[in-house]
Amino acid sequence: MCLAIPAEVIKVLPGEMAIVSVDGVSMEISIALTEDVVVGDYVLVHVGHALTKIDPAEAERTLDLLREFSGVGPELHP
Amino acid sequence: MSLPFRNEVDVTLSLVGGVVVAVKIQPRARPPLARLFAGKPLTSLLDMLPRLFSLCAAAHQVAFVSAIEAARGQEVSLATRCRRIIRVLLERLTELLRGLYVGHLANDIASAAAIRGVIEATSVLVGTDAAARGPAHQEARAQAETAFTCLGFSDQDGTPTEGTPLAQAIAALEENALKVAAAEHTFLSVADDLPVVQRMFAGDTDFCDYPDLDRRVPETGVWARDMIRHQSSAKRPEPAERLRARIAEVARLYACLQAHDPEAMEDGVLVSYGSGHGRGAAVVECARGRLYYTVELDREGQITRVEFLAPTEWNFHPRGPLVRSLQGAMLAESRARQDGVRAMIGSFDPCVGFRLNLREVADA
Repeated sequence: MCLAIPAEVIKVLPGEMAIVSVDGVSMEISIALTEDVVVGDYVLVHVGHALTKIDPAEAERTLDLLREFSGVGPELHP
Repeated sequence: MSLPFRNEVDVTLSLVGGVVVAVKIQPRARPPLARLFAGKPLTSLLDMLPRLFSLCAAAHQVAFVSAIEAARGQEVSLATRCRRIIRVLLERLTELLRGLYVGHLANDIASAAAIRGVIEATSVLVGTDAAARGPAHQEARAQAETAFTCLGFSDQDGTPTEGTPLAQAIAALEENALKVAAAEHTFLSVADDLPVVQRMFAGDTDFCDYPDLDRRVPETGVWARDMIRHQSSAKRPEPAERLRARIAEVARLYACLQAHDPEAMEDGVLVSYGSGHGRGAAVVECARGRLYYTVELDREGQITRVEFLAPTEWNFHPRGPLVRSLQGAMLAESRARQDGVRAMIGSFDPCVGFRLNLREVADA
């Protein structure tokens, strides 16, 4: 069971890499498995790789759900 | 990531003279589905599952829906069952291919393109009605076969063509192979479903976090499927062999999907258990292994309880197969001493996020 996190693409880099923002935090990921990624797209990120593109509304719904999970989960870091 | 929950497994090895004397695993947070699902209508729950479990969304949806149908005593048509199995197998193929890239071929742009090509072509093949196969079908087959050749797939035994990216990945694993101690390995199969489901229904709150079967913690996933299929323990459970098994399964999955013959994979890809009184369970064999769902309904048919058990909870159990594989292993005295350990962890699941900690302890 692994969770993927929605992220907004901030910058596309050479070598099929990109800078994304996850809830305000930037990170560099691979976009090699996802075609035609451009700045402003939302992607689902897992272990440093973009899985797929998703639309912004779906990204927000997913983030809301993950925040809800964070709020009720018994094993979460504060 | 700034979201405040654990999305990685912590693996801590205690070493004496380079030998692993203890393995501690701290799991990730599991979504508390019962609380997240409370009071929500079924259709919204089906929408929520892919958001939580985007890597295995089809497997979770199929298992959840099938468990509800079992609880209601609903029969499912053969066509629906076949469609669901194809969804699960297509997702399994996609995840195994993604694992090949993330675990072994990352930064190889040509391999990434080939993997995208196979995924895209297989989706076309699965979506093409057998009676209406035409140029698009032939083109998709050609695209998939070219991509498989580029990656190094040769036949169905999992041994790639020499000089190809996958052959190089196997050679790298063999070079950094961990010297492991002999350990007993058992494998989770469809025959274990009923005792697992009964434990889930029994309300043992720890069971889905730390499952076991009479203290036994079997392995599930690609390697388990390979060993069950061959009914053999002759192969050593080393990362290179595990990668060969993964390659072989990708080839078999593709063959089954493009032939529209999902039942040819193995027993237990999708199994439902209706225990009456509004209780139902379903199990699917997804990329990482057996995924279980149980649900309980009230007299009005509303969900009163839902639980799931993911494959990772077996494989990364504190007494599970990964721990047994690492216990007693001898680590090389080199800068690459972590490589063998990382390869072993990745061979169970190349897509699981983990942090590895090594600590030398005083000799007892």
